[in-house]
Amino acid sequence: MERTANIDLAAWRLNPAPLAASRHLSKRVFVCVLISCACLSALLASWLPLQISVVTVFLFAGPHNWFELRYFLIRLPVRFGKSRNFFLTAFAGIGFLSLAYCALPVLYAFSVWPDKAWPTILASWNTLLLLWLGSLVWLRGRQKLRRDWSWAIPVALGLCSLNWLAPEFFSLAIVYLHPVVALWFLDRHLRRTRPAWLRAYRRCLCLLPLLLAGMVWQLTRTPSLPDDNGLFWRITQHAGAQLLPNISSHVLVAVHVFLEMLHYGVWLVALPLIARLARQPVAKRATGPLRPAARERGRIWDLKTVPLARHPRGFPKLVATALAFGVLLVAILWVGFSVDYATTRDVYFTVAIAHVLAEAPFLLKML
Amino acid sequence: MKQFFSLCILALLLATALPTYGDIARPKPSPERPKIVLHTSLTIVPDSKAYEGRLQISQSSLQELRAALANTPPNESMAQSIAHSSTRTMLAGLFMFLSLSFAGVWLARSVQTRGQKMVAALLMGTAVIGAAAIIARANAGPPGSYYWRKLPQNLSKGTPTSGGLDIEIVPDSNDGSGMKLIIPMRPE
Repeated sequence: MERTANIDLAAWRLNPAPLAASRHLSKRVFVCVLISCACLSALLASWLPLQISVVTVFLFAGPHNWFELRYFLIRLPVRFGKSRNFFLTAFAGIGFLSLAYCALPVLYAFSVWPDKAWPTILASWNTLLLLWLGSLVWLRGRQKLRRDWSWAIPVALGLCSLNWLAPEFFSLAIVYLHPVVALWFLDRHLRRTRPAWLRAYRRCLCLLPLLLAGMVWQLTRTPSLPDDNGLFWRITQHAGAQLLPNISSHVLVAVHVFLEMLHYGVWLVALPLIARLARQPVAKRATGPLRPAARERGRIWDLKTVPLARHPRGFPKLVATALAFGVLLVAILWVGFSVDYATTRDVYFTVAIAHVLAEAPFLLKML
Repeated sequence: MKQFFSLCILALLLATALPTYGDIARPKPSPERPKIVLHTSLTIVPDSKAYEGRLQISQSSLQELRAALANTPPNESMAQSIAHSSTRTMLAGLFMFLSLSFAGVWLARSVQTRGQKMVAALLMGTAVIGAAAIIARANAGPPGSYYWRKLPQNLSKGTPTSGGLDIEIVPDSNDGSGMKLIIPMRPE
């Protein structure tokens, strides 16, 4: 897959002159869209945090997971080769940790353990997560000749220590940090496919802490959001209102919704758009005007865009089944939201831990 | 990326500075009177042979106290919840010890200069001392009588006195006293 990305990049560099003007324009458009989207998201999240949270999760939660699945399939090599241990550890960890996480609410419902034991159980799961991440970083580091990534082990153990002091806060930190990971993905993706845009993108990232600071500044003195119904209570709890009672739940929900909107924006708009833009010059250079077949290469449902399906030794049926099953799940999720939004939201945010975990190995492979 | 991190730190500083609201005086919350959950009697006994102050609570007083506390909602701070969970504190200490140890080994293996080796040695030393402190609990100090020695003078002056206290549960006594406070007092 890395080779595929490099081929596209090489094609860019071979004949840059005719495309220079349009590329410059595209860069400006990219920056303008990025800033506009960030500001609009911050505005909406601050204005109507609960309502926007309901709407965004309803509309974008399922599709963004499908796009992530497709992206991960694109990044997956046909043969693991030297990365065999890395991918085996990654998939074993994703499977085990996801199952354990999904089992926790069931065990809670059946009152298997007393209430006092739950912080310890939560801390145990967090510890397994951190040790898994530490192992992945260490394994990835072993593939790098010039870099020693053994520091990951003491860092993971140090974070484990902090986690055991306050496991609930550690879990809350994951809720807030996970959306930001999408921005890191975009950074790595731009570096491979559009290096000319990288500097502008990183400058735009500087706006993020300023927007967050502005939101906190404006909303700190606002009263907490009404959480008198089950759904709004769930949303405020998810944002940490119970753990941080001295901070207005308006701030917490607004910041969380803002970050979630950025997360959805990256997976649903930015990454597919850049992938499409990166492919077009190859087709133009090779065949002149875009042929119908070349145009189809940009379509997200085309299996030929996934190397795992396109390769002669690949798995086209498996990839097609996975993507079709993903579409079915998105449809089921929408039906579920329409019938019982609150319960479906709870189920979704529990099961969605799998995609949170899956991001880690694929991000590490891009580093 | 450096600019991004700098702005992140700046934003964090601003966010932490926000709650202070230096320009707006917040109304002082009226102090709530503590709720009385149990009324009992207390006997104060000076004891020249005692090492530490002791509060003896009779079985019946303890049961009354438990019943009264059952109706009081718990309000534990994070520090209290950590202090009350010995398992979590031990595991946090263990992971911190392992983290520092691995960091020391990593530093020692990855760096060559003498100064950096000193840092590695310091880290290892901190880890060992930390582990020893966890084991010893670092609770050694002067005897309890030292803190209570000025109690008579302070009582006459009307000033408070603070000192350590062990709480004991004792069988019900015949004299009917609910609790007994034993203060270690050494003759001057």
